[in-house]
Amino acid sequence: MHPLDLAVIIGYLALITFVGIKLSSKVKNAHDFFLAGRSLTWWVIGLSIIGTNIDTNSYVGASGNAYNVGIAQANFEWIGAIPAMIIASLIFIPLYWRAGVYSIPEYLGLRYNQAVRVVAALIASIFAVFALGVAMWALALTLETYLGWPIWVGILVSGTVVGLYSIAGGLAAVAITDSIQVSIMFLCGIIIVGIGISDAGGFSAFATTLTQDNPTHLQAYLPADDSSFPWPGVILGLGFVLSPAYWIGSQAILQRTLGARTQWDASASMMFAALAKTFIPLLVVFPGILALVMKADIEYPDMALPWVIKNVLPPGISGLMFVAIIAALQSSIDSGVNSTSLMITRDIRHVLMKNHEPLNDLKVGRYLTLILLMSSMCIAPFIGDLGGIFTFLQTILSLFQGPMLALLLLGAMTQRATPMAGLWTLVSGVLVSAILLILLEWNLLYVAFVSFCYSLIALWTVSGFTEKLSSEKLVTLTYRPWSRT
Amino acid sequence: MIDLPVAWANYISMGIFIFLGCLVWIVPKKAIFAGQPETDRWRDLRIWAMILIGLQLTIYWIFS
Repeated sequence: MHPLDLAVIIGYLALITFVGIKLSSKVKNAHDFFLAGRSLTWWVIGLSIIGTNIDTNSYVGASGNAYNVGIAQANFEWIGAIPAMIIASLIFIPLYWRAGVYSIPEYLGLRYNQAVRVVAALIASIFAVFALGVAMWALALTLETYLGWPIWVGILVSGTVVGLYSIAGGLAAVAITDSIQVSIMFLCGIIIVGIGISDAGGFSAFATTLTQDNPTHLQAYLPADDSSFPWPGVILGLGFVLSPAYWIGSQAILQRTLGARTQWDASASMMFAALAKTFIPLLVVFPGILALVMKADIEYPDMALPWVIKNVLPPGISGLMFVAIIAALQSSIDSGVNSTSLMITRDIRHVLMKNHEPLNDLKVGRYLTLILLMSSMCIAPFIGDLGGIFTFLQTILSLFQGPMLALLLLGAMTQRATPMAGLWTLVSGVLVSAILLILLEWNLLYVAFVSFCYSLIALWTVSGFTEKLSSEKLVTLTYRPWSRT
Repeated sequence: MIDLPVAWANYISMGIFIFLGCLVWIVPKKAIFAGQPETDRWRDLRIWAMILIGLQLTIYWIFS
């Protein structure tokens, strides 16, 4: 590694740790730790949302997929994100913010019942521990590939850096370091695009070279009979169900909006994040296409991005790009530990331990952050052996997406949905998903859409026969902007 | 639907964005500004949404 690259990496790690620890003096209670004392501005939250959203899979996996399928990979950032982000910004975020909740499971608990709250928090927390292990392993692997550090050293160093600022500074530290990390990512993305297109002889020459051998690589959609991303599945499953379920239901994403200083800042942050999201393909899709245009000599598609860093970028900039990948991983890990710690502290502990002491939330939250981080560090080296378990958990999580979206959608938009109907819809909707996915072996995108439709109908129907919440409670828990004007 | 050519996926996506663009204007101004001064036009998130939707329409038109 070039000394300039090494200097950039060390400088970055020192800056992030310094900023994070400096913010720790502002943390006085659980409200400061989990919601940054509701002090965050829209642009910090917006950048932090993108930092949380981009992980290793986005960088290495998406570049690899783009090498194979071309621009169609970008649908995950466009139709598979933007409509849901606009709806989240204008409808759901104002609702959550006004309800004064700390988490999405807490909102579900208020709108339906505590059983729904605990189930939602439990599933998300168990999955998060394994997801954190995967992210930690990926971070250590990246450090091994570029710096030659043994895996255990990579895990120890990255875990310590993330731990220092996320345990000390809470959400504020996480959000502000995320925004620095995302700025670095965008800077690198712009440099790669500039150098790549310039080396190819301009955009026209770039496009001509690409489409000569790969005529469909500049088409946004793949045919309906494509096994991986059939276009009806992308629009119906990804666009209508999986994406809204993520953007209006993910605790890691939405927690920072709940820490906004005003309701407007909370809404504007998601709209700003959507603007940034529109350009994410420059960071995660373009390198894969560039490797193809430059006829990279690689063994498998996931090596497209490392090839671009090694062969296209000059010293100093390649170090910065390496920092961008570390930053993407760190921002996902820090957000994951903070949001999971919150769900265990409040949504599980507060409900299951009746004699809990709310004043201890800060201490419990910090200990849990440490425990979660250490658990992920312990799991990380064995993640290859645990791959089957992770895939299983990922499948379990996907079974919840359709029913959970139906609960959030009808719960927020109508006064009809009842607590009992919510619980029964969640249980039966997951069963329907399991039958379609495991027994009938449907494509996941179609399972998501059908289970969502089923859950909407079930929730609407069962709510007609069961007792609903009082009108006073529903006023703050449902979206009724017209009645307030 | 499955038999439709791939270009229809782009048209459907653009239709979704246009529909969303119309829905955005149903949200009352008061709910958008949420206590912020309504004279600050740049704070109108419906305009932010229009810019985003315009970008998406351009993208799906170019890559059709």
